[in-house]
Amino acid sequence: MEVLRDVNLQISSGEFVVFVGPSGCGKSTLLRIISGLEEISRGEIRLDGQLINDVDPAKRGVAMVFQSYALYPHMTAFGNMGFSLKLAHSPKPTIRDKVAAAAGILRLEKLLERRPGALSGGQKQRVAIGRAIVREPKVFLFDEPLSNLDAELRVQMRAELAQLHDRLGTTMIYVTHDQVEAMTLADKMVVMNSGVVQQSGRPLNIYDDPDNMFVAGFIGSPRMNLLKAVVVGRTPDSVTVNGPGIGLLTLPFRGFPGENGQVSLGVRPQRIGLLGVQEGAIANRVELSATLTFAEELGDVTYLHCDLSGGERLVLRSLDGHYSGGRRLTAVADAASILLFDESGRRIRPAT
Amino acid sequence: MSGASVIANIEPTAAPSGSFVRRPALSVWTILKWVIALCAVVVAVFPIWWMVNVVFAHSGEPVSINPRLYPTSLAAGFEKIRMILAETDYLRAYYVSLVYSLLTIAGVLLIGSMAAFEFALFEFPGKRLMFAVVMVSLMVPTAVTIVPTYLLTAKLGWLNTMQGLVVPGLASAFGLFMLIQFMKTLPREMLEAARLDGATHFQLYLHFALPLSRNALVTLAILTFMRTWGNFAWPLIVAPNPEIYTVGQVVGLFNSPLSHQTVDVVMTANLLAALPPLIFFLMFQRKIVEGIAMSGSKG
Repeated sequence: MEVLRDVNLQISSGEFVVFVGPSGCGKSTLLRIISGLEEISRGEIRLDGQLINDVDPAKRGVAMVFQSYALYPHMTAFGNMGFSLKLAHSPKPTIRDKVAAAAGILRLEKLLERRPGALSGGQKQRVAIGRAIVREPKVFLFDEPLSNLDAELRVQMRAELAQLHDRLGTTMIYVTHDQVEAMTLADKMVVMNSGVVQQSGRPLNIYDDPDNMFVAGFIGSPRMNLLKAVVVGRTPDSVTVNGPGIGLLTLPFRGFPGENGQVSLGVRPQRIGLLGVQEGAIANRVELSATLTFAEELGDVTYLHCDLSGGERLVLRSLDGHYSGGRRLTAVADAASILLFDESGRRIRPAT
Repeated sequence: MSGASVIANIEPTAAPSGSFVRRPALSVWTILKWVIALCAVVVAVFPIWWMVNVVFAHSGEPVSINPRLYPTSLAAGFEKIRMILAETDYLRAYYVSLVYSLLTIAGVLLIGSMAAFEFALFEFPGKRLMFAVVMVSLMVPTAVTIVPTYLLTAKLGWLNTMQGLVVPGLASAFGLFMLIQFMKTLPREMLEAARLDGATHFQLYLHFALPLSRNALVTLAILTFMRTWGNFAWPLIVAPNPEIYTVGQVVGLFNSPLSHQTVDVVMTANLLAALPPLIFFLMFQRKIVEGIAMSGSKG
């Protein structure tokens, strides 16, 4: 069975790389391949220029932190963190010093004599990270390390991981299905789906400039609005589309390629406002009339879920905490913020 | 014995002070449960008590016209024990049985844990077939295999030797099955973490599979001890030389039709044979109950 296809990735030294994607997309498998716990049928893995396909997992210079912590239940925190050194027959003072140093970074000094059973979830995860630090790896691998923690602790640990990366300056590869974790932690984000790398790059670049409809929909919450339309005309500087619920729209677009046909329009909820509330100075505005179905009042923002006349769903953001308008409303968007995707979901970019 | 622990468990907790002390309703079912439990206790304890009673009394007294249900003479009992230890090779039999049991336990634990480690945690060609063979051997009663095993042991020249006693009992299909079930529950990610930490295959076994299966190993050790100490048929046929009699065989001599011993001397021999497992049981009672509950069988 093929789990991963055509994965081509270059990770620079010291980068914090996050693999993100829905479950079953192959991100954990890719991580396990890097660790050596999983074998590859084809291709090459190189670390520092050296081929490591057939190098034993323990000798690759990688250390892994597992979702389940995977601590050794019959050893103390100290024993867990020092185990690799003990196996390597390091002298006892060395083990003590290195474990103490790692424990200092992670504020675990007082817990070293405890066994995993007597530690909380966050402490266990810190011990697991400490176990990785002690090995002084070239690459840290994190396999959804925070998903077993409660929400508050997750935010706190996320910040600690970011600090840890700053402090150690070591390459870190991190797998998560949580796009907030991915966006906040990553220097470089790799979005994956069904075994294929969809796009990689800086998180905000991916957010603003997705390569395809999957990435556009997966990154960002609430999801990007995707509306079906047909191209009915174009000039060198614009393209005109027609769709149910949106009517005829002319969008500025330099050099629209290909034939007239089905396209999808993508626009983020954050880029749509309400007529009369947030018009601002939009140069090239698009107006859509819609019916409100339900309002998500989150306090700082309110997301309005609406139906367009064609039955398509449109989510938009109201900056006011409350929405007190009627059920009929008019949404306003900047035509320049609307992205185009072709029938197969690939992004159509304007010519530069 | 199990009846006794039932009674201990349903002891009512301290009644709350105050005027509204609610007694548990004394239903027919509650009474019936107690009656059944007490019957079980009598059935389980009486033979052992009778044995003690017969030993620590003057000859014939407990079975006389005026029987007693309690020991009447400690001195008479100790005299019988002294006589048996002095006039038979009972101490040597103790030694043989003990060595036989300990070597069997060591072997069963070592072989069983190593095999279970591979079966439970790794894939290898022929694994399913081999496991099926082991399971089938679990279903074959000892009586079927005892003759071929004897012939093989005889061919090896191991009659009347310790290895003849021990080696055929080392491969315990039941023990293997129990350990496999236990080791399957070891978290895979933990073993992967250990592999990344640099543990070799054998170190995974030594540092993880063994210590983390401690409870299962202790249970298997206890069950193996009970089985080996009480094993009569195998020592009887493979080691007929009095030099290497086990306790079971010595007791068998006392019980044989041509023995001219009185009942109380025979009982003394029985008591001496029953003592080590009894002490063992009292020491490890909790573990044994847990172990039997875990394995769902008495081995």
